[in-house]
Amino acid sequence: MKRMALLLLASLLAASFLFGSLVAFAEDEEEHGGDIIYTKPLKAVIFSHKAHTEDIGLECDWCHEETFEMEALHMQENTDFTMDSLCNENYCGTCHNGDISFSTTTQCARCHIGVKGYNDLVRQGKLEPAEGEEIPEEQKPGH
Amino acid sequence: MKLTNIDLEKLIPENLISVTKMERRAFLKIGLVITGVFAGGRILSVTSNVSEAFASGKDFVDQYPYKPHYSMVIRQGLCIDCERCLKACKETNSVPDYGYRTRILTKIVTDAVGRKREFIPILCNHCNDAPCTRACPTRATYKNKENGIVMMESKKCIGCKMCILACPYEARYFNAERHAIDKCNFCWDTRLSKGEKLTACSYVCPTGARIFGDMSDPDNVAYKMVHQVEKQVWVLRPESGTKPNVFYMKATRSSPWDLRKQDGAR
Repeated sequence: MKRMALLLLASLLAASFLFGSLVAFAEDEEEHGGDIIYTKPLKAVIFSHKAHTEDIGLECDWCHEETFEMEALHMQENTDFTMDSLCNENYCGTCHNGDISFSTTTQCARCHIGVKGYNDLVRQGKLEPAEGEEIPEEQKPGH
Repeated sequence: MKLTNIDLEKLIPENLISVTKMERRAFLKIGLVITGVFAGGRILSVTSNVSEAFASGKDFVDQYPYKPHYSMVIRQGLCIDCERCLKACKETNSVPDYGYRTRILTKIVTDAVGRKREFIPILCNHCNDAPCTRACPTRATYKNKENGIVMMESKKCIGCKMCILACPYEARYFNAERHAIDKCNFCWDTRLSKGEKLTACSYVCPTGARIFGDMSDPDNVAYKMVHQVEKQVWVLRPESGTKPNVFYMKATRSSPWDLRKQDGAR
């Protein structure tokens, strides 16, 4: 049992090292990649591995590595990682084309969590802020 | 009463012919087309049929007394809170970190299907009947007689903050550096008076959530957006009777690849 726990810890460490600092993890990340928070070209877009795998049962190799590389956030370095490109059925738009799943021209804020969503995740400790980034205090209602 | 759970995934589609014409018409009246029939007609699947045709503008001319009559249309579902507008506004109009001329509110609907989040940009509504201008004892804030923008003359402002209390939209803040109230003026001094066609926020908006325009011109994109047949348009706090000039509408399905670029402005 102890060895199991140790093994788990080691794999956790390896995973966090692999996915870098900008990745927020769900509790059981040995099964999938947790929540991925994209910040380019704008802040911020959430991709939930849980929603795609545990909840609706997609297999890892349906997206990896052909559509998305295993390395989290690698794709956002590409210059064509834009909504225009998604609408031409690249990246998320491969499935989110209005045919297989809801189109990328609808329900914008379903994936776009905004600067506020990003700041909330940092405040909750689920996300490491970028280097030198300051997160403002939470806005009170009415302000 | 016993409620049985229906597994929508397992329902078998039936023939559309079983839907009567009257029933179809009833749905068409509320902008929905019946696309499927399930469970012997007890369940119908429907889709929106909101026409994109434009209304005749004749009835609306009286509403827009200024020339040009500046206005902003907020297409609510398109805002993604990237906050490029806030950044552009602060840079363009030297807004300090503690202040704001425009903000974005978040609305979370936890029991919604699919999209649970909504972002709502807010700013000065440049009301035709502006309560702030009536509250100001020194006439430091006033309605521009030509273009209807609610402006500030900082040197007249004594910082009494009566306008902040009077404004139903919380669109004003006290700028300590200027020792005056500051607010959105549709970038009049920084952009519009210099010949720019758009405010800084609408210029940088990547999705077309903020459409700036002239409501006195029926050919203007903002005018056309507001005056669509069967398109629901609303204003904030209508009960205040302020006749605001910032209009809101739902735009859940974007066609941003052409609409986000405003006519001839880029």
